[in-house]
Amino acid sequence: MKQWKILMMFILALATSGIAFSQGEQERLNTLAFEMPRRPGAVFSHDDHTQTTEISDDCAICHHVYANKTLVPDESSEDNACSDCHSLQPDRKNSISLVNAFHKRCKECHYDLGKGPVLCGECHIKK
Amino acid sequence: MGPMVWISALICIFGLLVKFILIIKEVYEKERYLLSYITVRHSLRSIIAWLIPFYPRSTRMRPVYYGISYLFHVLLFLLPVFLMSHIVLINESFNLSWPAMNDTAADILTIGVIFALVFFVLRRRFIPDVRFLTSFMDYILILMVLLPFVTGFLAYHQVILYKWIVIAHVLSGEVLLIVIPFSRFSHMITAPLTRAYTGSEFGNIRHARDW
Repeated sequence: MKQWKILMMFILALATSGIAFSQGEQERLNTLAFEMPRRPGAVFSHDDHTQTTEISDDCAICHHVYANKTLVPDESSEDNACSDCHSLQPDRKNSISLVNAFHKRCKECHYDLGKGPVLCGECHIKK
Repeated sequence: MGPMVWISALICIFGLLVKFILIIKEVYEKERYLLSYITVRHSLRSIIAWLIPFYPRSTRMRPVYYGISYLFHVLLFLLPVFLMSHIVLINESFNLSWPAMNDTAADILTIGVIFALVFFVLRRRFIPDVRFLTSFMDYILILMVLLPFVTGFLAYHQVILYKWIVIAHVLSGEVLLIVIPFSRFSHMITAPLTRAYTGSEFGNIRHARDW
């Protein structure tokens, strides 16, 4: 009987190990602002980024404010959505489209710091 | 974008340009007689006739090979140019944009290109007269075209070793661009010249069609 119990526990452990080792649903950027997103939202952890020493507490690197195409220092835009300023197509007010705002912000920083993904499928991981 | 994409694109464009100039120069030095009968009208007539699918008689005699070959050549250019992932990269660098084709369509057409290349290999292996004209280099060249499409397909589906597959995709594309002017891939400029020559000789001297 004891052997039987050990065997059952072993089988149960094997069967559930998949859950323990899978990462679960990864944190992703939402794609609500896009009319027809053709890729899954990029994998992005806000916490990982705020805890990075290079960014530390300068929220305005990403949550920046521009007025008349110049950066407004010491102001940040956490309460706005990226899509409030960056429209789907570049326009006269803002030459950087929403897609490019994301792509360039992420990749240029990752290149400069020599860390973080830069290839398409490293962020747009298939679901 | 790194420097390699520019280096390879420039080698391709300037290489083809230099090749074109050298051919014209050689015509002027060694084959001047050609200038006595070559005309723009007969040249264009022949080039256009050979661009129309199944219009030249010899293409109708081998419809399977010619049909696959024609589609292959069209896709070879259309697929990379109208692929969304490529347009996104161009857009990031130049703020240029044009409509992209559907990803699923591109995916299926990529498989088509791969099958066409396999077909070309089999044709060179098993059709005696083609086999006779085939050298080892021809297979290497087919492999060079195959690689960007296979790695692109694998990268899109994120099957295995994503990072390495993408690097292989970029490198194989760059190698392909660099090799174009120095290999028979330069038939992208020499083929129209051949048509101009043949079209003019047939049209202007023999008063016949060359298609």
